[in-house]
Amino acid sequence: MSLYLRQVRAIVWKDLLLELRTRERLVAMGAFAVLAGILFDYTLDTTRVQPEDVAAGLIWMTIVFGGLLGIGRTFHLEGQDAALQGVLMSPAPKDAVFFGKTLANFVLLYAVAVLVLGVFTFLFGLEPGGSVWMLLAALALGALGFVALGTLFAAVSSGTRMGETLLPILVFPLLLPMVIWGGVATGRLLDGRPVAEVAASLRLLGAFALVALATGAVLFRFVVED
Amino acid sequence: MTPATQIGRPIPATVTVLEARGLVREYGAVVAVDGVDLTLAEGEFLTLFGPNGAGKSSLLGMLAGALRPTRGSVAVRGAPLDFGDVAWRARIGMVSHRGFLYAHLTAEENLRFYGELFGLGDLDERVPERLERVGLAARARAQVHELSHGMRQRLSLARALLHDPDLVLLDEPFTGLDPSAAAVLHRVLRELRDGRRTVVMVTHNLSEGLALATRVAIQVGGRLAWEGAAGGERDGFERLYHDVVEGRYARGEPTPGRDAAGRGALEARA
Amino acid sequence: MSVTDLRRAGTALTALGLLGLAMVYGLSFFWVSTESSQGIVQRIFYVHVPAAWTAFLGFAIAALASGMYLWLRDERFDRTALCAAEGGMVFATIMITTGPLWGRIAWGTYWTREPRLTLTLLMWFIFLGYFLVRRSSDSPERGKRYAAVTAIVGATLIPFIHVSVLWFRSLHPQPVVMRTDGGPALPGDMLALLLTSVAVFTMIFAGLFMLRYALEGLRHQVDMRGRAAAA
Repeated sequence: MSLYLRQVRAIVWKDLLLELRTRERLVAMGAFAVLAGILFDYTLDTTRVQPEDVAAGLIWMTIVFGGLLGIGRTFHLEGQDAALQGVLMSPAPKDAVFFGKTLANFVLLYAVAVLVLGVFTFLFGLEPGGSVWMLLAALALGALGFVALGTLFAAVSSGTRMGETLLPILVFPLLLPMVIWGGVATGRLLDGRPVAEVAASLRLLGAFALVALATGAVLFRFVVED
Repeated sequence: MTPATQIGRPIPATVTVLEARGLVREYGAVVAVDGVDLTLAEGEFLTLFGPNGAGKSSLLGMLAGALRPTRGSVAVRGAPLDFGDVAWRARIGMVSHRGFLYAHLTAEENLRFYGELFGLGDLDERVPERLERVGLAARARAQVHELSHGMRQRLSLARALLHDPDLVLLDEPFTGLDPSAAAVLHRVLRELRDGRRTVVMVTHNLSEGLALATRVAIQVGGRLAWEGAAGGERDGFERLYHDVVEGRYARGEPTPGRDAAGRGALEARA
Repeated sequence: MSVTDLRRAGTALTALGLLGLAMVYGLSFFWVSTESSQGIVQRIFYVHVPAAWTAFLGFAIAALASGMYLWLRDERFDRTALCAAEGGMVFATIMITTGPLWGRIAWGTYWTREPRLTLTLLMWFIFLGYFLVRRSSDSPERGKRYAAVTAIVGATLIPFIHVSVLWFRSLHPQPVVMRTDGGPALPGDMLALLLTSVAVFTMIFAGLFMLRYALEGLRHQVDMRGRAAAA
């Protein structure tokens, strides 16, 4: 395995191991997913609105809010004891560090996204049926772009006095494409429409994720240098 | 201890390991390091003294490649530190009072993690051996937050030396250490020196600093106010230190603390 | 160009621009022909569209200068980015306030998910992020770097935002309300006034930019003097 991949893998593993041991982000995000679903369920006036009609949008917004909750803390553990400094002083290239942290965040976020899907399916009585795999693919592609931007700006916000409260302002404008394409694809899939109708949105989600990852990889070094 | 101009073996003029030219570091309006030139040959052990706020940590940070100099350059074994290219980072190890450790990973896991980052091949042998050397073999499976401060410092030392760096930089490593941890540190540093590794150490601990060093420098106000070969009595040096820090030396006033061996051995930097 | 020269040039340009603006106002009220479907309210077009143009100009300059700053580390690029961003934000504010007003008066609704309006609104927030990150960073150096990164990420992803909104609208046929391009072919006098207005707005932007840049230059000089005095 090349050194680069080895370094990325080491960072992913380290982050996931730390998450398993401290469980701080997992629990917060998971609880948020379930509780948000419950609250949303009660905000809907079912005499005027069919839950299935608004489910797609609510699923994505819940993922966004819950995701930001966890992603905001990406560099929290790194700050204690200046651990990140040690990593930055190692031969690992800065983009490798970025990919490692982003991938670890992806694993975390995707788990939560699937949970959100499950929660809303349960509460809103959705019937994904055969299109479950495409739904999971849509979630994955959207989540990828999301964590790329979130990780980059989490690094930025951790160097400011406003900290995590800055994240929504920085990230939300850039997430519009994700919620549009992701929301439409999810809505159609939940409606039982054929896969061909969501191919375009999935491709666009993929392109978005790619550009977000590339931009993050290039710019991360300017954020963490000193 | 007898007054002497040089300690131990003479230092041959061999490979230059570290060369710093005109290093300046500014934090906005504050100038922490104000034009420092430094050359270290292989096997030299430089102890850097100085009052708080003199910019020692910033200087060390630039030598380690952790801080980008505002002006000036650093070269390790002839290769300039280029922040874009990371190969040189494998040659430098840094120990600081900040541990660079993950509190919820075990001692072993911390070392393994850094081993992977440095691309070391023999981790299965290397990690246990290094833990043994710093006396932490029994606590390999303990998470860092369960370790005492002294043990954490020892682990931090093992981490910094894991990849056998050419240049070792230490930022106040003796601070807050209990006697046993300090003894381990002293032993490891002595081994480094005897193994001809190049070391720069910042410390307030006069005894340790003088005992280990081959060269000594005093940084005041961002500049190296005094530099010379290690030697002399500790008390003599202490008087000299105070003279330099309070500016008496630089101003050419008579300094009772001047080394009895004579001015020839001393190099003044105004 | 020294600070004083810049200030003089900036003042001159701004003054000229404001005179031009008065002229544009006059022309738009009394000279240009009225658009058939919307009536006189359409004339807000001659402020709304140039404001959008200038906002995007400011943003583009800020993003480019930010890129140069990260690459070459020259403070002047960062200063350029800051001044362009401030100007851009002012004009973006004008655009996003005139837009919904126009919509409300002409067609009864404030918000129609019009692509350019959405884009400018989001760009306004990216600008906001730029300034917040600059101001609340632990150190000024970091603030400049973080802000530059924010501007560049924003610029890179703006095309995606635009494409996605257009895509969204193509799915949900919206009433064709705001023809900000004025329709299939702008009649000659409207086109002429629009272009004049764009030129005037750009002039004002340039003048304000110069003034602001000069001010930052002064601030830098004061900093340097303070530092020299302390040393």
